[in-house]
Amino acid sequence: MVNTTLKVSLLLDGELEPQEVAPSLAQVAADAGLRDRFTLYGLAGDALRGNGTPDDGFSRRIFERMRREGVAIEPGFDPLAG
Amino acid sequence: MLEADADAGLVRLAQSGDARAFEALVVKYQRRIARHVARYVKRAGDVEDVVQEAFIRAYRGLGSFRGESAFYSWLYRIATNSALGFLKRSPGPVVLQEDLRDEGDERGDGPFEPGVSDGEDPERLLLAKQISGAVDKALARLQPELAQALLLYEVEGKTYKEIAQMLAVPIGTVRTRIFRAREFIAQRLEPVVGHQRPRRW
Repeated sequence: MVNTTLKVSLLLDGELEPQEVAPSLAQVAADAGLRDRFTLYGLAGDALRGNGTPDDGFSRRIFERMRREGVAIEPGFDPLAG
Repeated sequence: MLEADADAGLVRLAQSGDARAFEALVVKYQRRIARHVARYVKRAGDVEDVVQEAFIRAYRGLGSFRGESAFYSWLYRIATNSALGFLKRSPGPVVLQEDLRDEGDERGDGPFEPGVSDGEDPERLLLAKQISGAVDKALARLQPELAQALLLYEVEGKTYKEIAQMLAVPIGTVRTRIFRAREFIAQRLEPVVGHQRPRRW
């Protein structure tokens, strides 16, 4: 378990070996307890930088809107253009 | 730039169509992006709209991200454009100027305090204070070598490699120290924000 949560911490920081990223992400995404860890570790970091605002569903509303609107990757779309 | 690589793994997965990887990036950066947007946009509800738009534009345009800058820098630029676009679309001669005048009255013409928007829910502000209090308290109780590693990473922006060199320890020790510090803090944050769990990722 410690090894798994350690990997959550490394995933957050981009410190996993490249081949470990996909399996670790899959594990985190499928496990509410690990998603909690990812969220809380991130919150702790932001709070240390003076930005510890609570997530009252902010991220989730983004995902819901993306699903509702069927947002997809659009080849050729440059978000910085125009 | 060293940071350019930090999100490379998740970005690559997201680009290949793994939506969960993009979700992880949203969870990781939503507060930082919201704070940035709040420098331009005053109302909390508008900040949320602009942040949503920025992340949606980023996702649609993921294919155009080539890793020439750090992913966060790219996201930050998209959010800046979204915020400026919002201001252009809604010049709000009444509302916006009213808000700005209020701010001027209260704070002189000093810099805008980031992260605090007009219309911020008092409950949210209270919770933010509790979070900050819990983190400070946890930090004070943390073994100094764990706190030091975490602060070097999160506050000083050092990489794992740099921390290992500074502290003359193997990189594995840095990984463990940062993780243990986070876990210690997370356990103390849980009672403060646990009620939000159903609404989180």
